[in-house]
Amino acid sequence: MIRHYFLYIIVLLASSSCSSFLEVDPKDSISGEDVIHDQASAQAALNGAYVALRDYYSVNFQSIAYLSGDNVEWTGSQSQIQEFINHRVNPENSTIAATWNGIYQSVNRANNIIKVLSENDQLGIAENERALILGQAYAIRALSYFDLLRVWGGVPLITEPTARVGENAGVARSSSDETYALILQDLSAAEELLPQATNRFTFTKKTVWALKARFYLYREDWTQAIAFANRLLTDADYELLNPYYSFFKNNVTGTRESVFELYYNANELNPHRGQWQPQTNGGTRQWAPNAALVSLLTTPATGGARSELIARDNQNRWYGNLYYRSPASDPTYIVRIAELYLIRAEASAHTQNFDQAVADLNKVRARALLTPKPTSQNQAEILRAVEDERRLEFAFEAHRWFDLVRTKRAQDVLGISESFRILLPIPYSQILADPVLDQNPGYSF
Amino acid sequence: MKKTELSKYGILCILFTCILFAQLSLAQVETKPIINATLQGVVVDEETQQPIEGVTIQLEAVTHSVKTDEKGRFQFVTGQKLPFTLLLSYVGYEPQRIVINTSPALIKLKRSSEDLDEVVVVGYTTVEKKNLIGSIEKVPLKEVSSIPTGSFDAQLQGKVAGMQVATNTGVPGEALNIRLRGATSINANNNPLYVIDGVFVNSESLQTINSGGKATSPIADLNPSDIEFVEVLKDAEATALYGSRGANGVILITTKRGKNGQSTKVDVNLYSGRAKAAKLWDLTTGEEHALLVNEYNRNIGRPEPFTAVTEGGRGLPSEQQTYDRLSEAFRTAGVHNADIALYGGSDNTAYYLSSGYNKQESILRPISFDRSSFRFNLDQKVNDKIKVGSSNSISRTGRNQGRAGDGPQGGILQAALHTPTYLSPYNEQGVLVGRAGFDNLTLLLDNYDVGSVSLRYIGNLYGEYQLSPSWRFRSTFSVDYNQYDEHEYWNNLLIAGSPDGLATSAIGQATTWINEQTLTYRKKIAGVHTLGLLVGNTLQGSTFSLTSATGRGFATNDFTLISAAANSTSTQDWDKYKLASFFGRVDYAFDDRYLIDFSLRADGSSKFNKGYQWGYFPAVGVAWRLNKEGFLQDLSFINDLKIRSSYGITGNQNGINSFASRQLWSGVNTAYQGLPGIIPEQLANQQLSWEKTAQFNIGLDAALLKNRLSFALNYYYKYTKDGLLTEVLPGTTGFGEYLNNSAEISNKGFELTLNTVNIQNQDFSWSTSLNVARNVNNIEKLAKPMNFGSRDLILFQEGSPMYSFWVYNQLYVDAATGDAVYEDVNGDGQITTDDRQILGSIWPDYFGGLSNNFTYKRFDLQTFLTFSVGNEVYNHNRFFGEAGGARDAARIIFASNLDRWQQPGDITDVPRSDGVNNNNYKDGGGRWLEDGSYLRFRTLSLGYNVGSKVLDRLSISRLRIYAQATNLFTWTKYSGLDPESAANGSPNQQGIDLGTPPQPRSFQLGINLTL
Repeated sequence: MIRHYFLYIIVLLASSSCSSFLEVDPKDSISGEDVIHDQASAQAALNGAYVALRDYYSVNFQSIAYLSGDNVEWTGSQSQIQEFINHRVNPENSTIAATWNGIYQSVNRANNIIKVLSENDQLGIAENERALILGQAYAIRALSYFDLLRVWGGVPLITEPTARVGENAGVARSSSDETYALILQDLSAAEELLPQATNRFTFTKKTVWALKARFYLYREDWTQAIAFANRLLTDADYELLNPYYSFFKNNVTGTRESVFELYYNANELNPHRGQWQPQTNGGTRQWAPNAALVSLLTTPATGGARSELIARDNQNRWYGNLYYRSPASDPTYIVRIAELYLIRAEASAHTQNFDQAVADLNKVRARALLTPKPTSQNQAEILRAVEDERRLEFAFEAHRWFDLVRTKRAQDVLGISESFRILLPIPYSQILADPVLDQNPGYSF
Repeated sequence: MKKTELSKYGILCILFTCILFAQLSLAQVETKPIINATLQGVVVDEETQQPIEGVTIQLEAVTHSVKTDEKGRFQFVTGQKLPFTLLLSYVGYEPQRIVINTSPALIKLKRSSEDLDEVVVVGYTTVEKKNLIGSIEKVPLKEVSSIPTGSFDAQLQGKVAGMQVATNTGVPGEALNIRLRGATSINANNNPLYVIDGVFVNSESLQTINSGGKATSPIADLNPSDIEFVEVLKDAEATALYGSRGANGVILITTKRGKNGQSTKVDVNLYSGRAKAAKLWDLTTGEEHALLVNEYNRNIGRPEPFTAVTEGGRGLPSEQQTYDRLSEAFRTAGVHNADIALYGGSDNTAYYLSSGYNKQESILRPISFDRSSFRFNLDQKVNDKIKVGSSNSISRTGRNQGRAGDGPQGGILQAALHTPTYLSPYNEQGVLVGRAGFDNLTLLLDNYDVGSVSLRYIGNLYGEYQLSPSWRFRSTFSVDYNQYDEHEYWNNLLIAGSPDGLATSAIGQATTWINEQTLTYRKKIAGVHTLGLLVGNTLQGSTFSLTSATGRGFATNDFTLISAAANSTSTQDWDKYKLASFFGRVDYAFDDRYLIDFSLRADGSSKFNKGYQWGYFPAVGVAWRLNKEGFLQDLSFINDLKIRSSYGITGNQNGINSFASRQLWSGVNTAYQGLPGIIPEQLANQQLSWEKTAQFNIGLDAALLKNRLSFALNYYYKYTKDGLLTEVLPGTTGFGEYLNNSAEISNKGFELTLNTVNIQNQDFSWSTSLNVARNVNNIEKLAKPMNFGSRDLILFQEGSPMYSFWVYNQLYVDAATGDAVYEDVNGDGQITTDDRQILGSIWPDYFGGLSNNFTYKRFDLQTFLTFSVGNEVYNHNRFFGEAGGARDAARIIFASNLDRWQQPGDITDVPRSDGVNNNNYKDGGGRWLEDGSYLRFRTLSLGYNVGSKVLDRLSISRLRIYAQATNLFTWTKYSGLDPESAANGSPNQQGIDLGTPPQPRSFQLGINLTL
């Protein structure tokens, strides 16, 4: 009798100790490498890379761009965000850490695609499809590094995907020239691979040209900036919509104004809106137009049709109304054709082509229902007019801070006494995680 | 071998049952007594003369035994003749051997004043309390089960030395933090293991809806009235048999069961009461608010906003109204309980059947908690050798939930507390409007619709086979099933639902099944050697699944289901892990004097990779009962004296993701342009494995002076290695973090439990019970400091305790300038983040409880105090409410802000009002870190037992009527409402008091009735 039980126990132990009992596989994720192995998985990974782009362009990166400028104030209670307005950003600031991580996440996702598609032609993907996916991955990486560079200067250049712990760590920062070089290299790779098509939600050759125009503007290569701007400005698929607010009002997306915008719909919501809209519209209004901007936008001579960018809530407080849709499917605008007019205007002013500069400026002003600027031969005056125009044209897009930094006007305009604050500090958490990272000069760690 | 595994296993179980019943026919051998003589008698308590039911009476040298009935009567029919020698035994009484000459006989039993013979459940078996080696405390829940809280663990506060119960909130049924002998893990779970009648139950909230850093307690699904007693296993000797689950201690819950030979009884417990906040925040009036705002603007050279309306201002300060929102949000809450239990047993069957209903409103509208529960426990002897039984509990826990923590949307306390008092709830058109970015309180309370329903089944089925007098085999199959159904609907009158409604529905299901076999042997050899053996195994599988949907865009506020929403999205989540375990234990006692045991458990977890799956958890314990030694036997004042010590290792893998060791890519259903996408989500850590805690314990148990004074003293040292830690990866990898075994944490401390019977006579008795404990927690190894909580208020760093507060130390306010002066830690002449420092932690220097029980004739009086000394609390409410006038119309101002510096010479610790986020009003300012020590008058209870004359007339065997006050007073220097209040957003964020309703003071009347 007892023997029966021991027999039972032995059977039991034998069956349960069988190690396959302890094998459980996840269902909502897949485990392992070689995940990108055909066209469908490569396309899905690309969509995942666009998600990363969209994520860092939703709140964090925008916080830096908006609040460091002089258009937007912060009404929330967290001082770490107020630091951008005060221009006393601490290395511990959690928004810069989130932005850093978010952008490198985008880099890593692009790297995964670039690695597999550039090294492996055994995947059975048609050549044109392969080029389309790979080209977009290069473009995503280029834009990501461009944004890193704009905030911090030169950064560690990571071009291989991270497969295991220990990889892609301990990489020191490259110089800003080296970073610019990688961006240009990626843009050129994308330019070569991508078709000359018009798609306002994904990268095409034309999108890359627009980014190159911006790239050369930052590099102060005025000729190239003009050349690449021209490619879009002469393209019939793009035009300035009249009046100004036609590019965003009435729930429109992907208008002829748009060169590149990040796509959202009712199921893919943009958290951006919640930051702007007042409580009565379900938002927090933590980002709000400041008094100076409200004054500029409500004064007909300076605001014109752009007064539609702001509105007042039931407590008479002004709020930004560029992102207003319900559900929150507002696009994030990355490049609009207006930017290319203003790039050409600025570059032309630098190359002494003042008539072209003023003409481009006035095109943008005209559709904002503003009076044209008179022709001028005063370069400084024209550049200032372009700067002012950009401030209002892109009042709620991620430009103002970077424009002032790029033109070295930030200290004057924003009253920043310490010049090192033009570059933000490398997040302290990153220096802790990777001691090889050098802090930007002037910061405590 | 995935699905087939369970079914194969099931077949084995059925096979086992078949074998059992095949043996049944062989085992049934009966002997019929020869009817010859009759013996009748009554057994009573020596002191009270009250009949005792259930006493086992055995004729010496005969196996036949009987039990007394509810009137203490027994009757024997036997072949023997007078005189008889009887052996009497009953739990709680000294066993007696008595010679009976007459029938009927009156037998008096003597109470064993200290319950040394009491049986204690230790890992998978039982031992007599006197022979315990491990550190185990047994708490009869009866004493505290009438405290109005949602879950029984909250009732245990102050009852067990070394068990820290942080209640966090006054909302009934919300999760609390229990720390047994400190905390051992940063990223795995620090909760003890809860075992209910042998079922390992889930103690982690299934809540997915964001309620501002609050979570519901799954332990609240259990009706405390059904619990007979709770045992708390603390040292490694006691917990090692729970291996990978034992590192944070084990709480064993034994529910009530019927007894064989006990007549049917009915217990009824009813109480009803009222609860109210002992105090609420003290806020500035509208006028004071306006004055402070004006002062702030003057200080920074801006025009004052509160000037005459004719001058374009908001009206003079004296013209401001004061709107009291707190009184609207808080209420006198009702607490009600009714439960009934029916139990008893025949010779072969014992049963316990109960049903309960508990409803508690929170003092903060509209939150409430209710629980309906049903229990059925059954034990059936099939024959002399085979016993089968089952425990079953089904409950439904319903909650109206409210966001009482942080976050602007739907926050009740944000609307009630953080909205400035001078602002009218109406706008110029007379319409209710939200202010300061928060919801309008009236609209919020009227339209709040967030709730959950938890359906829970916890049960098991066991079979026990007595192979021989020494060998016993037992097999159990247990299930813990929880369906958790949540919903929230925000209509368009609320911020979260603006502009056209938002609804979420989430249904989670957590299932754990456990199969367990044990084979035990216990034999006394040659009168002095006691040998015990145990071998066993368990298999466990846990699955969690969640389906949730969100809808936006409702036609009108009358349509609240997602099916009526214009847009909807849904998600699904799934998780599963398995554990296979084998364990064994040998214990040996010589003459009940020298005791030693050794145990080992091996656990394999599916969470880790092959080669790292198995963990081995050994423990050894020794004890020496000094009072059994000759040299102490003459000292009659010593009734028991025992020194014991143990060392062992336990593990932890709880709370980490089931697939934490793998490289994962996850799918994103709405990636880009409506197309699906995939993203690399996690990097692999092939070597990920168990967190291990080694624990040393040494203790002394003593019972003196006829057991009227007893105490237990313990010292322990715990050291955790390979601590599961989320380590930060450089962002350049594209990943934020990964899980690794790298932290090391130590806990050491002592515990003292003291029980005294101060007075004991016919009419009056007074007994006291005190426990006090100290735990010193320290992070021994942590590669990089880690911040948690809002404004990085919590810092974990090597050499400091977990949950330390990281703040600027405000030294004083300069009387000349009104500026706050902080300690310049690095002496560089400026105050930067480098000057933040650790100033205290949530750990008390010592904590415990003190209870006094008095009886006078039929009255009983209990007082129970709990205390905690030396812990800090960060009063985050004050951070918001003491910003001077700088937050203006965006936040409330606390009345304490009126103490601010105004002019040179003012001595105060509230600086000049000149803005927020500047020197005087820093994020992380130490001004708001307060001493959280408290002494709480937890319960005061007065009862009256109705006399037997009345009861007999009503055919009632017991009726007690009582009145009870809970949280009557709290003595504390803490300026907030409740030093235990804490927002509980993440496990590592503790001790930050923000937007949390306090534990209420409550009064209740109740009856305990036994039929």
